[in-house]
Amino acid sequence: MSQPSERIALPAAPRLALVSRQVWLALGIAIVAGSMLPLVVTSTLAITLLTQAVIGGILATAVGLVIRQTGLVSFGHAAFFGLAGYFIALPAKHGLWPLELSIVLAIAMPTLLAFLLGLVIVRIPGVAFSMITLAIGQAFHEFAVRARLVTGGDDGLAINLPRTVFGVATEVFQRPQTMFVICWVALVGLLFGLHLLVRSRFGRVTTAIRENEERARFLGYQTVVPRALIFALSALIGSIAGTLFALYNGFVSPESLHWSLSGSALIMAIVGGTRLLWGPALGAVVFFFFKDVAGDLTEHWPAMIGFMLIVVTVALPTGIGGALTKLFDRIRPAGVRRDG
Amino acid sequence: MLLQILNGLVYGGLLYILAVGLVLIFGLRRVVNFAHGSLFMVGAYVGYAIATYFGNFWVGLLVSVALLAALGVFLDAVVFRPLQREDPIVTVLVTFGILLVLEDAVRTIWGKDFLSLKPPEALAGTVQILGESFPTYRLFVIVLAAAVAIGLSLWLRMSRIGLFVRASSVDRTTTAILGVNTDRVSIIVVAAGAALAGLSGTVSAPLLALSPSMGSFILIDSFIVVVVGGLGSFSGAFFAALIIGQLHNFGVVYVPSAATMIPFLLMVGILIWRPAGFAGQHV
Amino acid sequence: MAETFAIEGVGLTRRFGGFTALDAVRIAVPDGEIRGLIGPNGAGKSTLIDVLSGRADDWEGTVRLGGEDISARTVQERRRGGLARSFQRTNIFPELAVREQLEIASWRAETPNVDEVLQEMGLAGIAHMRAADVSYGDRRRLDLALALIGRPTVLLLDEPAAGLSMRESVALAELLRDLASRWKVTVLLVEHDMEVVFSICDRITVLHLGRVLAEGAPDEIRKIPEVVTAYLGSTVE
Repeated sequence: MSQPSERIALPAAPRLALVSRQVWLALGIAIVAGSMLPLVVTSTLAITLLTQAVIGGILATAVGLVIRQTGLVSFGHAAFFGLAGYFIALPAKHGLWPLELSIVLAIAMPTLLAFLLGLVIVRIPGVAFSMITLAIGQAFHEFAVRARLVTGGDDGLAINLPRTVFGVATEVFQRPQTMFVICWVALVGLLFGLHLLVRSRFGRVTTAIRENEERARFLGYQTVVPRALIFALSALIGSIAGTLFALYNGFVSPESLHWSLSGSALIMAIVGGTRLLWGPALGAVVFFFFKDVAGDLTEHWPAMIGFMLIVVTVALPTGIGGALTKLFDRIRPAGVRRDG
Repeated sequence: MLLQILNGLVYGGLLYILAVGLVLIFGLRRVVNFAHGSLFMVGAYVGYAIATYFGNFWVGLLVSVALLAALGVFLDAVVFRPLQREDPIVTVLVTFGILLVLEDAVRTIWGKDFLSLKPPEALAGTVQILGESFPTYRLFVIVLAAAVAIGLSLWLRMSRIGLFVRASSVDRTTTAILGVNTDRVSIIVVAAGAALAGLSGTVSAPLLALSPSMGSFILIDSFIVVVVGGLGSFSGAFFAALIIGQLHNFGVVYVPSAATMIPFLLMVGILIWRPAGFAGQHV
Repeated sequence: MAETFAIEGVGLTRRFGGFTALDAVRIAVPDGEIRGLIGPNGAGKSTLIDVLSGRADDWEGTVRLGGEDISARTVQERRRGGLARSFQRTNIFPELAVREQLEIASWRAETPNVDEVLQEMGLAGIAHMRAADVSYGDRRRLDLALALIGRPTVLLLDEPAAGLSMRESVALAELLRDLASRWKVTVLLVEHDMEVVFSICDRITVLHLGRVLAEGAPDEIRKIPEVVTAYLGSTVE
């Protein structure tokens, strides 16, 4: 953070250090506190739920990033999540190559796919983008359901996991107490990375493109590739979530590609708000808490998701994060705004 | 070969009836009804239930279309109208929520298993076309789709409402000046769109197995039709539906498991060439 | 005809369906000149700016920047080549701070001059404010400021004074003339405010129904009867 006096002398630029002391502090606290959590929360049920919430939070962060940096709303992020799972399950089933390579591919391939797709679809206006992402996501779902011989159809595939993954005992990925810490550190690390990204030149240029694509072009900026890169980065994050989920459950099914999962991720992002980077992750915690409370109703979970989506969209357009931002803005002196 | 083309026309026709409802609503409200595929599915199930109960397909068709039209009026009143001043994405999210609710409701009422409906007696046979026998019911679907296309284009050309819808899908400001009551037009247009989804759904019931996820694959294809045709374009949707119908059929015959991927690849190809679809204006 | 112009368009034609918005227009602005572009609504002024700046597609003809053919260049390449424009409808980044967006603009420029532009355009005092929160006049000047980043060689201005008060328009006109001479910018200015056009332009081109009706110094233009009836009417007497 800059000194207050400097801010007065240079009202034009609240020159933020790339990483302020507060952020370093928050990063430290988040990692330490998260790692300690399984020691405090002894209920396996609770820690299981929290692990799911964190994985959901990573997926929601991916969806939120696209909204935040491009203004486009993806209805098909389950595609990247689910594809990652199948990239792990299928080679394992046929014993094609070591799991470590599968993990790399599970993250790299959806990212590459998203980049190439992004080059085509980020150019089309808002609603059409949403339609196409929905169609893409559901096309993969249909494929997974129909290609029974390859994917096992609706029954899904159990993943034959080796004893160790990257030298770590596989158990570690499947026990909620330890997996929680891994997922949590991944989430915090990703958020930290995104924090740096949105403050970088690339991040600021993409914000400008989101704000006014045409003017950005008239300032000399290419506007398709940066947005495709954001979409790819988002797919990367989504496929990390999918990879973690597959390792944790040791199982994939077409449900991981279903549009109700894309819808859930959207709800989390909207509930948490996308103005703050950590908004969607916060939304995920709220979402899974609600899911737990819903309890017996989970048989009708897709309908519940749909219902929540309606309520949240209408009642909380800027999300919890948006409400918090407003509150912060009121506390802080006028004119000094923080973005992110 | 001929039979294949005809089968492609059947699916293309169903797709057109469904997609044109999306285009109607988009033209007027500038929003896309993500629950449109679910309306198709609900139409199919309602048609199935009524037709089975009364033992008469036509009663089922009539009730389904009427009921879906009523659902359209309801949707317009509780979703499209109240949200018209919001960002279009709000309506999209809400209709997506409705999609999830409807899919689950149908699953709860009728179960996950595939159901099937017999075509009406009168159309149960086959006809000879150039020496090949073709199911009469399928021919009926092709004729029906053509009738809808002709009827709709007459309606859009002749009636005041039609004129307004066409004008509004091209230029919003002029229509605002025309001083037509958008809300009244909207009720009719959304009801018509939903009724068409119901029609398409019930008519498809004897052709496709009924399942709660049937709304899913048809929604994908109808979205592709609308985007490829150029968002808001009636003629674009017509041609796109014909093409996707042929491609889909080709896919089902030769690469069944990847059938959903083929229209999708076509869409990517077309969007590379023309980002606004083939009837879309450059922005 | 070997003379090179700062910006030159030859045979520029653009049709929308059956309507010809531009019909074989030739326009050539020498270095350092401030050229006014006037004509009634629908004369093709904005279309001409769009063609020169690369915003339009489906047009015919040749556009040269400093003698170099840039007809096939993208908007981005034209901007990097020193051709900048402003917009009739304010075209800025509403959620970004004034300074922030000028900085982003300056990253693509060889001579980043954010502070200079802020000072010149009188935006220094509101540099930290979100663009959506500043006054209309400031937003208009911000639009112009975005075009001025990097000291372009040619500026295409599409009604920069639209919606400004009389006093603001006059101030803007003076500022433009001053900047153009100090920074050696060639300006092509579309403007409805005749006061502004006749006071700062070296020469004026009159467009009518997609064709060049007349071209000359302000005093000559004032005397052409067709121009007076077609456009000026009784406003400038």
